[in-house]
Amino acid sequence: MLKVKNICYSYKNKKEVLKNITFSAKKGQITTILGPNGSGKTTLFKCISGLLPDYKGEVEFDGKLINNLDFKERAKIFSVVPQEHTPPFAYLVFDVVLMGRANYIGIFSTPKKEDYKIAEEALEFVGIKHLKDIPYTEISGGERQLVLIARALAQKAPVMLLDEPVNHLDFRNQLEVLKKIKEIAKDRNITVIMTLHDPNLACLFSDYAVIVNSGKKIAEGKTSEILTEELIKKLYKVRVKIYSLNGHRIICPLI
Amino acid sequence: MKEIKIFLIFISPLFIGWFALFLGAYKISPFLIIKILIDNTFHIFHLNNTPENAIVIDIRLPRVLLAGLVGIALSCTGAVLQGIFRNPLIDPYILGISSGAAFGCAITIGFLGFIPLQVNAFIFAVLAVFLTYSIAKIHGEITKLSLILSGIIVSAFFTALVSIIKFLVDPHKLQAIVYWIMGSFSLADWSKVKVALIGISIGIIPLYFMRWRLNVISMGEEEAKALGVDVKKERLLFIGFSTLAVATATSVSGIIGWVGLMVPHLVRMVVGPDHKLLIPLSATAGASFMIIADTLARSLTTFDIPVGIITALTGAPFFVYLMKYKSKEVWGKHA
Repeated sequence: MLKVKNICYSYKNKKEVLKNITFSAKKGQITTILGPNGSGKTTLFKCISGLLPDYKGEVEFDGKLINNLDFKERAKIFSVVPQEHTPPFAYLVFDVVLMGRANYIGIFSTPKKEDYKIAEEALEFVGIKHLKDIPYTEISGGERQLVLIARALAQKAPVMLLDEPVNHLDFRNQLEVLKKIKEIAKDRNITVIMTLHDPNLACLFSDYAVIVNSGKKIAEGKTSEILTEELIKKLYKVRVKIYSLNGHRIICPLI
Repeated sequence: MKEIKIFLIFISPLFIGWFALFLGAYKISPFLIIKILIDNTFHIFHLNNTPENAIVIDIRLPRVLLAGLVGIALSCTGAVLQGIFRNPLIDPYILGISSGAAFGCAITIGFLGFIPLQVNAFIFAVLAVFLTYSIAKIHGEITKLSLILSGIIVSAFFTALVSIIKFLVDPHKLQAIVYWIMGSFSLADWSKVKVALIGISIGIIPLYFMRWRLNVISMGEEEAKALGVDVKKERLLFIGFSTLAVATATSVSGIIGWVGLMVPHLVRMVVGPDHKLLIPLSATAGASFMIIADTLARSLTTFDIPVGIITALTGAPFFVYLMKYKSKEVWGKHA
């Protein structure tokens, strides 16, 4: 169980972008941080993953306080799938996945047989083994996202953090990538935390949602229960009607 | 097929070095070269007092070895620096490291004869790379362009300082500084080979073992941190060892530019960007490249042209080629 307690953050000399955010995320579940652009989702994400270390508050994993871990120890708990990303060199897909093992490979060392095996397995699990020997710069955006997810899997960390994993992807790739993420959470019993800005995708794929607006948490709970017409209106200033179809909730904007 | 190419690049310095030993004003047969080399290790043919032996062992061999070592230093550090700065358009020369080291050497030659050349070269090379790095950092971020520009600024600054020294020293020392800065192996001897071997080994061997880390760090600071790498600390190690190798190379051969830019690119074209292969192959390809350039420098004309001129004549057009025709790879998508 990952617990986030009273996180506050302000960029240098500016007003607070995160105010007292508290929530927890369970193993084997997808917890989505949902909110409109500029709500503080990405800042919260960076505080949890340790990229913005100077926040106030506490992050706890399995009862252990993990605020002050160094990068190496932190990478044993969190794997991170980044949002924006331009690699400078055309590494092969396999080499990119292998980088997930960096934490286990000493600075004066190179990957061992075991690392190759784990990277291979991660590729297979995500279902992109056929891309193994293709330059990472020559595959589609959806495939690239899957490669980064495979890399995160190879890291063998109990918590996986994904920042807007389906941004810039087309309709089909959004579904493919999110389906894969759901499979990972269930099969590997990993705590998945991701940020999204589309409430429909949050409804379809996540178990739990933390709703953030202007740096404050305004709601938290099972996705199927808390996403109401009033909440969406408050959050996005859009009037919607929520329909139920085969047990799924579909949020339809009224235009 | 790729394995064959890798193997050929790997052993190329042996063959090219052998060629370089029998090419020259005094004709020596290729087989005699091998005989002389064997004789100097096992003493079976008793060729010790022949003029051929003196030419090969005292003149050509140290020169070829020195060129090879300097080629290794410049190419390896070129590949390392391109990796950690995620910038394919840089090398030790463009970052101003060579100019800083050159200034350190020039002061030693001019005024501070009591401090070893290499020590001063290293101190000012460190200063230069520190300046380039700090100037390039704008709002906590280093862009491809800001890094190149700040390298140019730092280079210009140290070159101007060298000019002041040239202006102040007596003409005898002036000649030594001018000729040495143009970059040349014509003054190679065994003592220089020894110095180069020690300094360059201390710099390059750790870089070789750290090479896989370059893959991770080249993905960018935030990503590498998330993968568990202490980027700040490791980058410092990479820059420190690189600077040591470059300072040593500059102290024995002057300023030789562009090699560190070209060789890693050529190797990447053959084996791809994985640093696990790129670093060792840049070393051997760099040695071969430098030996070829130096052999051309001493045999194209009756004069011994400074080898720095040869590398600049090939390097400048190569830079233009990269900038214009490889723009997508060099600048990325958001140029």
